[in-house]
Amino acid sequence: MRDFSYVRANSIEAARKAAALPGAMLLAGGTTLVDLAKCGVAQPETVVDITHLKGLDTISVDASHATLGALAKMSHVADHAGIKSHFPAVSEALWQAASAQLRNMATVGGNLMQRTRCPYFRDPSNFSACNKREPGSGCSAIGGVTRGHAVLGTSQACIAMYPGDLATALVAFDATVHLGQRVLKVDDFFLLPGDTPEREHDIRAGEMITAIEIPGSAAARRSTYLKVRDRQSYEFAAARAAVGLELEADGRTIRDLRVALGGVATKPWRARAVEEALKGKVLDEDTVRKASGLAMEGAVDHGANHYKIELAPRVVARAILKLGETA
Amino acid sequence: MTVHNIRHADSRHGDASDGAVGGRLSRVDGPAKITGAAKYAFEQQLDGLAHAVMVEATIAAGTVRAIDTRAAETTPGVLLVLTPDTIMEIKGASDWLGNPPTQKTYSPLARTVTYSGQHIAAVVAETFEQAVAAAALIEVSYDETPAIVDLSDPKAGDGIPIDAMTKEWGDAEAAFAAAPVRICAAYNTQREYQAAMEPHGLIARWQGEELTIWEPSQWLDGMARTYAEWFGVPFENVRLVSPYIGGGFGSKALALAHSAVAAASAKMLGRPVKLVLTRPQNFTSYGGRAATRQTVTIGAGRDGKIQSIVHRGVNETAVDGMWVEPLASVTSIMYATPNFSSKQNVVRVNTVVPGAKRAPGENPSAFGIECAIDELAHEVGIDPLEIRLRNYAEQDPEAKKAWSTRQLREAFASGAERFGWSKRSPKPRSMRDGHQLIGWGVAAGTYPVRRAYGEAIVRILADGSVEVESSSIDMGQGTYTILAQTAAETVGVAADDVVVKLGDSRYARAGVAGGSRLAGVMTGAVYKAATSALDQLVGLAISDPRSPFHALQANTLVVANGRLRSPRGDGPDVSIAELLASVGRDRIEAAGDTMPANSTAEDRYKNYTTIATSIPHTEGNYSRHSWCAHFIEVRVDEDFGTVRVSRVVSALDSGRLYNPKLAESQWKGGIIMGIGQALLEEGIVDRRHGRIVNNNLADYLVPTNADIPDIEVISVGIPDLHSSVLGGKGVGELAIVGVAPAIANAVFHATGKRVRDLPITLEKLI
Amino acid sequence: MTSQTTIHLTINGRDHSLNVEPRVTLLDALRDRLDLTGTKKGCDHGQCGACTVHVDGERVLACLTLAAQVEGREITTIEGLAGADGTLDAVQAAFLEQDAFQCGYCTPGQIMSAVACIREGHANSDDEIREYMAGNLCRCGAYPNIVAAVRQAALEVVS
Repeated sequence: MRDFSYVRANSIEAARKAAALPGAMLLAGGTTLVDLAKCGVAQPETVVDITHLKGLDTISVDASHATLGALAKMSHVADHAGIKSHFPAVSEALWQAASAQLRNMATVGGNLMQRTRCPYFRDPSNFSACNKREPGSGCSAIGGVTRGHAVLGTSQACIAMYPGDLATALVAFDATVHLGQRVLKVDDFFLLPGDTPEREHDIRAGEMITAIEIPGSAAARRSTYLKVRDRQSYEFAAARAAVGLELEADGRTIRDLRVALGGVATKPWRARAVEEALKGKVLDEDTVRKASGLAMEGAVDHGANHYKIELAPRVVARAILKLGETA
Repeated sequence: MTVHNIRHADSRHGDASDGAVGGRLSRVDGPAKITGAAKYAFEQQLDGLAHAVMVEATIAAGTVRAIDTRAAETTPGVLLVLTPDTIMEIKGASDWLGNPPTQKTYSPLARTVTYSGQHIAAVVAETFEQAVAAAALIEVSYDETPAIVDLSDPKAGDGIPIDAMTKEWGDAEAAFAAAPVRICAAYNTQREYQAAMEPHGLIARWQGEELTIWEPSQWLDGMARTYAEWFGVPFENVRLVSPYIGGGFGSKALALAHSAVAAASAKMLGRPVKLVLTRPQNFTSYGGRAATRQTVTIGAGRDGKIQSIVHRGVNETAVDGMWVEPLASVTSIMYATPNFSSKQNVVRVNTVVPGAKRAPGENPSAFGIECAIDELAHEVGIDPLEIRLRNYAEQDPEAKKAWSTRQLREAFASGAERFGWSKRSPKPRSMRDGHQLIGWGVAAGTYPVRRAYGEAIVRILADGSVEVESSSIDMGQGTYTILAQTAAETVGVAADDVVVKLGDSRYARAGVAGGSRLAGVMTGAVYKAATSALDQLVGLAISDPRSPFHALQANTLVVANGRLRSPRGDGPDVSIAELLASVGRDRIEAAGDTMPANSTAEDRYKNYTTIATSIPHTEGNYSRHSWCAHFIEVRVDEDFGTVRVSRVVSALDSGRLYNPKLAESQWKGGIIMGIGQALLEEGIVDRRHGRIVNNNLADYLVPTNADIPDIEVISVGIPDLHSSVLGGKGVGELAIVGVAPAIANAVFHATGKRVRDLPITLEKLI
Repeated sequence: MTSQTTIHLTINGRDHSLNVEPRVTLLDALRDRLDLTGTKKGCDHGQCGACTVHVDGERVLACLTLAAQVEGREITTIEGLAGADGTLDAVQAAFLEQDAFQCGYCTPGQIMSAVACIREGHANSDDEIREYMAGNLCRCGAYPNIVAAVRQAALEVVS
C-alpha cells in the first residue's frame, strides 16, 4: 500500500472540501478502500476519514418512507425493526451480504460505492489490462475466467459484475441517493460501463452521499431478497433477486410487482419487462416462470457465465412465487 | 523465551479417568489458545526485526530479462532488495528421502520461470508497510515462452509413465471383456489447496554461525537439515522453533524458497528478518493437491460381484519437480477382485510442484473407485451398501496378507443404522422436500498406517510433576494432550501434573508429522521413556537405603495418583516428591525410543531428518490400515442446482483412540474438508496466463460454518497392536477419504445426474 | 512521503500511544507494534475473520481498519476478554469444553465473533449461529463444535 496522509473530517462540509482535492478519497467503513489500497488498485494520496462525523448514521422509518443516513452501518439497518417490517427485502439483502464483521464496518453509503470483484480488476500486478482501472488498457476478463462476470449491461470495454446486495433491493423500490445538492434515483446513480467503465457512478467532485431514501409501498412491505450462491454464506451471489409484490383484493391478481436482479449485471438491474408482463395477471407458477425469462432480454454470456442466463430467471420466479405463497 | 510450558489448567472439565490414555481430556494447550496467549512461530517479537516480502513472476514460463530495483531501493525504510543476482550463494540440499542434491547451488529466486507466482525477488525494509510498498515498485521484464497450463492443455501430452505405480494381478483386460456387466467412467479432481488459516512464514536470526528459525513446521528436524545444508553449517547449529502451528494439512513439512530467502537476507543484513507470505502467495509458493484424472472400469457379474478392475490415472506435476499422487492406493485394496490392473502417468505442466494435502493419493483414489462401485450398484440394481458388502475384501487383495484389523463391516453396520439407511428409497430423484431433491449416498475410505521410529525424553521432577520433551509438533491433532495422557498413565500421575514441551528442535528428535503417523510413533516413544523413568523411580524407592520403602524389601511398587505404595497395601504411602526428596534426587530422566537396538547415530539422524526409514504398512504378516464409512444426505435445489450437505453419519476405525474427544474433532475436520472438496474447492486457471485467478479466500471457497450440518462420528475401532505400541491407527487423514464420492453418490441419488468432475457446482446440475 | 503520526489507542482498557504511518492497519499495529499477537492475520483482506476484534463493543475486522481511524474508540482484543483475575469468558470456557478448535489460529477471531454474536441476539438457533458465525473461516473444521460452544455460552450468558 502506498503511503497517504490522513485527515479526520469533523463536518460534512469539511469532508466534501477535503474529498474534492486531487488524490483524496473518503474513508467510511473502509471495507472497499483499504482492501483495494492493499491490492494496489486504490492509490489515495489523502484519506479523508468520515467515520467520526455525527448525525449521519440515523435510520428513520415509517410506512411512507425510510431514510438511511449514509454512515448507518449495514448491520444496524439490517436489524432495524422498521426496515424489517416495511422493507423486508432491504433487511434480507443486508444480512445476506458479506459477514457480520464487515456489516458492522461497512456503511450503506459506502456500500453503494463498492467496486467490482472482477479478479482482473483486483490484480494490477498480474493483469495490466483493465479499462475500469486504466481507461483504454483493454479488458483482461474477456476471454479469461468469466464464471462470475456479468451477462447484462456489458460492453466491449468491460464485463465486470456489480457485487452489491443492498443496491439491488434499492433499485427495486425506487430509492434515491442524496448527494448534497442533487438527489438521484439509485438506478440512475449507477452507470453502465459502455466506453467508460472507469465511471461507475454519477457523482461529481465535491459531492458526498449523505443519505438514501426509500419510498414505502405495499410492494416494499411484501418483499423478499433471494440470493443463490455456491457457498451458503459469506460469498457474492451467482444470482440474486429483490422482489416486491402487491396483489389485488382477490388475493391472486398482481397489482404491483417490483423485480431487480443482481449477480448477473454490471449495475443493479431493474427487470421492468418482468414487472410489466405480470402486472394484472393472475399469479400462477407457469405464468411467473414464463415471464421471469424476460429478465434476461439482451443477455450476452462469455462462456463460463452462461449458467447465469439459466439461473437468474429461476431465482426471480422463485422469489415471486415465494411472496405469492405468503398471503 | 520460546520454551513452551503448558500446565493443564482445565481441571474443571476433567474427571479421574481423563488423565488416562483413552480419556476425553480437554486440550492441554487450550487455555493458551483461547486467551490469545499462545505465541505462534512468527509472532515472536525480536529486537531489530526487519520485514521481508516476496515478489513473484507474472508469467508462467520464460526467463527474467531484467529486474529494475531502483525505485524500490530508494523507498524509505528499504534495507535490501534481493534478486537472483544479488542474493548470497546458497548450497543445494538433499531431498526428503535424503537423496543428495542434484545441483551444487540452490537459487530460491528464479531466473528461469516455470510457473506464475514463482519468486523472483524480495525486499527487506524496516517495517512491513515499507517492504510491501517498495516491492510494488519493482519492475520486471521477461522473455515469455508458451506454457502448458494444465492437464487439458493440448500441449500437455500423455505424460511420463510411473512404473512403480503399476499394479497387476490376474488378467484384468480379458476378465473385463468377458464380464456380463461393464462400467467405465472417468473421474476428475481439481487443484485443491491446503489453505491453512495461518499463512506460511518465518523469522530467521543468525548469531554467528548459529541459525534460529521460528517457522510453523510439521517437521522440525527435516527442515533443520535443509537449512543446515543450504547454509553449510552443522545440523546442530540450526534451531527450529514451532510451538504452535496454525494448520498444515501437509503443506508445512518442508523448507521452501521463501524460507531460504528469509534466512539469506537475515545473514546478509545481520539482522533478524520476518517474512510472511501473503494469502495469494500461499497459492503459488508451494503446491496444493495435484489435479487428477482417473478412468475406472469394472467388470462384474449380474450379482454385483467384481471380476475385474482396470484403472488408469494421471496427475499433474511441475516442469521442474516431480509429484506422484498415488491414484490406485484405494482402488487396489478396497474390494476383492481376482483381476486387477492399474497404471499411472504424470504430466508436467507449468505449476509450482504439487504437494501433500490431507490423504494424498487415497483421497482422489477413493473418489474414483467409490463412485464407480456406486455406478455398478445402480447398473445391477443392488443397494450401494449391499454391493460393498458383497465385494468385501477379507484380506489385502494386493499384498495378499491378512488385515491387522479391519472394522469396515462394523463401520457399514453402525453407520447405516444411525443414518437410517434401510429407509432409503432406491430410485434416483425419488425423495424430495418441496423444491429440494434429497439424496443419500455412501462411500468408504481408508488410509494406511504409516509407521516410523520415535524418541522422547521423560523427566520426573522434584515436585512430583512429569515433563515430556520432543521436537514433534502439535498443529491441532492434540499431540500435547495425548502425550500428557500417555506419560500420566504410564508413570502414574494426574495429567495436570504433566508438562509437555514440543516444537523445538533442541528437544528429543522427531520425524515428520504427516501421514497420520505422529500419534502412534510418539505415544510409543513416550510410553517407552515413561516406563523407563518409572522403573528408575521404583528402583530407587526399593533399593536406595534412604528410601522409606527400603525396609519393605518389595519386588515392585505401585505408582498411582502421584504416590508410591506397595501392591500389597502394606508399608508407607508417599508422594513422588517426598520419595525424591528422601533419596536426595532432584529429578529422574529417561530417554526412550522405538528405534531398532544397535541403531547408530547416523541411523538416528537419517530416521528423523528423512522419510527414508518409514516402515511399510505391509511389513511382516499384516496389512495395516484405518477404515471408514460415510453416510451423507444432500439437498439439491431443483431450480438452482445448489447442493447442501444436510446430514453426515460416519463410522470410523482408527484402532484405539488415545483421546476420543480430540480424535472425533479431527475426523469431523476431515469430513468438512471433504465437503469443501466435493462442492466448492477448485483452483481456477486463466488459460492465457497459466495463472490461478482465485488465489484468495473470497474466491477459493472453503466451507463456512453455514455450510456444515451436525456431523455424527462413531468409533468402531479396536486396539491394533500390529499398528502401534498402544494400539492406535491413523486418525487425521482418514476421514476425508470417501467424503467426496459419498456426496457425489448422494447427488446422483437426489438428481439422477452423475457428476464425475469435482467440485459439484451448480452449473453442473441446472 | 513517510508521514509518521502519533496516535493514541485504547485497547483492553489501557491507553497506548504509538508512532505509525497512516497506512498502518489496526491489525499490524496490534501484532507488530504492541505485541498483541492474539489477533491473527489470515488473509489481510477481510476474507477470513481471523482478525476479529471489538470496536466500541461491535465485532469488526482489524485488517481493514486503519489504526488512525479508531483513535478515540474502545478496542477489545482476545487478550482483554477474560477477567482481570483470569476468569474465562463464558465463550472461552465453552470453546475449551466443546473442543471448538484444533490448530487454534482462527480461534481468537471465532471467540471475539461469538461473544458479539450472542450480544447481538443472533444466537437463537443453531442455524442462526451458523449464519452469523459464517464470517470466521476455520480450516481445521471445528464448525459443529463451535456451534455447540456458542449455543452453550449463549444459554449461560442469558441465565
